[in-house]
Amino acid sequence: MDPENSRRDFLKKSIFLLGGLMAVGVAVPGGTYFLSPLWRKGEEGWLELGEISKILPGEPVKVDYAQRRRDGWATIEEKSSAWVVTDDGKKFTVFDPHCTHLGCPYHWDTAKKKFLCPCHNATFGMDGQVISGPPPRPLDQFTTKVVGGKLLIKPRSGGA
Amino acid sequence: MLEPWKQKVRQRYDELKKLGKPFFPYIIFKDTLVIFLAFLVIFYLAAAVGANLEEVANPTDTTYNPRPEWYFLFLFQALKFFPGSLEAVAAIILPAMAILFLVILPFIDRGPKRHPLDRPFFTVLGVVALVGLVSLTIMGMEAPMLNPVIHRDPQVMAGYQLYGQLHCNYCHSIQGRGGNAAPDLGTVGARHDRDWLTRHFRDPNQVTPGSVMPQLNLLPEEIDQLVTYLETLGKSEPFTAAAPKLFSENCGACHVIDGNGGEAGPDLTAIRTYRDKAYLADYIQSPQQHNPETAMPGFKGVLTDRQVEDLSRYILSTQRHHH
Amino acid sequence: MRTLVDWLDERLQIREIKVALFDRKIPKGVGWIYTLGSLSLGIFLLQSVTGILLAMNYSPSPQFAYESVSYITHQVTLGNIVRGLHKWGASAMVLIVTLHMIRVYFMGSYKYPRELSWVVGVFIWLIVMGFGFTGYLLPWDQKGYWATMVGTTIAEQAPLVGPALAKLLRGGDTLGTVTLTRFYAIHVLVLPALVLTLIALHLFFVVRQGISAPPERDKPDGPHA
Repeated sequence: MDPENSRRDFLKKSIFLLGGLMAVGVAVPGGTYFLSPLWRKGEEGWLELGEISKILPGEPVKVDYAQRRRDGWATIEEKSSAWVVTDDGKKFTVFDPHCTHLGCPYHWDTAKKKFLCPCHNATFGMDGQVISGPPPRPLDQFTTKVVGGKLLIKPRSGGA
Repeated sequence: MLEPWKQKVRQRYDELKKLGKPFFPYIIFKDTLVIFLAFLVIFYLAAAVGANLEEVANPTDTTYNPRPEWYFLFLFQALKFFPGSLEAVAAIILPAMAILFLVILPFIDRGPKRHPLDRPFFTVLGVVALVGLVSLTIMGMEAPMLNPVIHRDPQVMAGYQLYGQLHCNYCHSIQGRGGNAAPDLGTVGARHDRDWLTRHFRDPNQVTPGSVMPQLNLLPEEIDQLVTYLETLGKSEPFTAAAPKLFSENCGACHVIDGNGGEAGPDLTAIRTYRDKAYLADYIQSPQQHNPETAMPGFKGVLTDRQVEDLSRYILSTQRHHH
Repeated sequence: MRTLVDWLDERLQIREIKVALFDRKIPKGVGWIYTLGSLSLGIFLLQSVTGILLAMNYSPSPQFAYESVSYITHQVTLGNIVRGLHKWGASAMVLIVTLHMIRVYFMGSYKYPRELSWVVGVFIWLIVMGFGFTGYLLPWDQKGYWATMVGTTIAEQAPLVGPALAKLLRGGDTLGTVTLTRFYAIHVLVLPALVLTLIALHLFFVVRQGISAPPERDKPDGPHA
């Protein structure tokens, strides 16, 4: 190869090398930044639902609570609720208040003794199992614990 | 028909072009290499220096030293040379004329002569303008800050802001300001330790049975900020009778406490609402480590550790008096 | 690969474009100082990428602007790097575009036939300064706030139109919420649209007319060597 051709060849390779390095140099921090929501952990604190003595066995009880949490750069206080079921006043099952079908808010039908979702007439038993309708799985539950006579739940991060 | 000189310009350009090399790869190589080197510098600065974020904008602040970015410093500095009545000239009319000049430049300076030595007027004008801009920028950079700079602890500032956002002052007061439905918090840091305050914020009723303070569901870091803020308010440790004298001999020439002292440095009255003792003591000994631009001398070796401790306690004991 | 190029070439004659863009000859004597223009373009691309990334985590309201920038700096992975790149890229942009302009000024490259390249270039320089001015208010920190206060007050000094101009910049009588959203819209929508158009025009001129040759001393018989 004559010297001019090999020089051209060297320059071409250098351009692609340097260009590639710059592309990687921008793409790595940029991509990491862009993808960071994937590995960002949600807030995982325990939330207090209230005194267990106020939750009576038998009927499910809807408990409203206020949750103060970080939402990106803002600190927001949002109101939410949960359905609490207990047989003996010692062990508690707490359901996420959204139907597992499409996320509609369901309620307890006292006459029929079932959870009823108004969107597609789905029904769930007191144990959260699907009785009828389209939901793909039983009602979602929160992890619970009892500390000092108070019921605490751990909301799951992210959607079910 | 083109004027003859324009034809010559074109001819000469075509000649030089024939002698030249293709854009790719010869010129693009140079471009790529220079861009690569510039990126290295920018990446280095981004990683090593980063981007500074000052305190949140505070429209009521009267002690801030406004400074533009370096590329507007020339304008900022130029305004200092014009009396108020002529400010519009420096701020608007001169820059506008300069821009207008640049826009119409190719229509003023015409003809075939391109070499700087063949256009002495425009070359000299350019050099003068450049020297002017560069020296204005340097003067702007070197201009001293008229207001002394106080660096505040971000945790304390965050706590102070939360105190306002949560409307604590509806019930509580600090040094006489606020509601009287609940205890004064100005000295709460002296009465209770960090752990007690933290537990109290988490659940007031559990720590103080019968408390009517609502449970605020605060996040752990928010509680931390509030506690840090309250601690800086309340803590004052005993100091010796020598401390005020130490202050007036070593610090009083530049700093004010309770209205007495010099004005070259910041007023230190109630500095405890911004800073804790460890910081203050360290600052007294080696100020340049915390603020490289400060003109304050370090007292390491001048004062003993015991004296620095005594002095810090004294300075932190001062509070602003509201009349 | 080759078949794809052939397929496109049969329809769009892309090889002609390649010849016009990349195989064109550059006059003899064009040296390192001529890379400033390409360098500006390179930094502009860096600013675009980092700017888009920053916009994803930024909230243009006085209530949240500072918090969101602080979130970028401390919470988002490598957020401080992306912000640092954008900030130092901005300084580099101003510096390099200005140096490019100085080069063209002293070499008289704005002369026939490149007058329009120069005029467009002056406006690009002004837009770059506008990017700087609108950009550093966005973190809503002390520096940005007070610099904008000074800047808009300077605008107020303009004869006749001053007060109206300042009011337009601020979106009202005082510096506040509306100012921030205006500056944000100008910084991320208006100025990018303008500068992209002007850069396209500027590059079109350069490719069409070729980069200017280095200046030569005037000879009695004209610029001929």
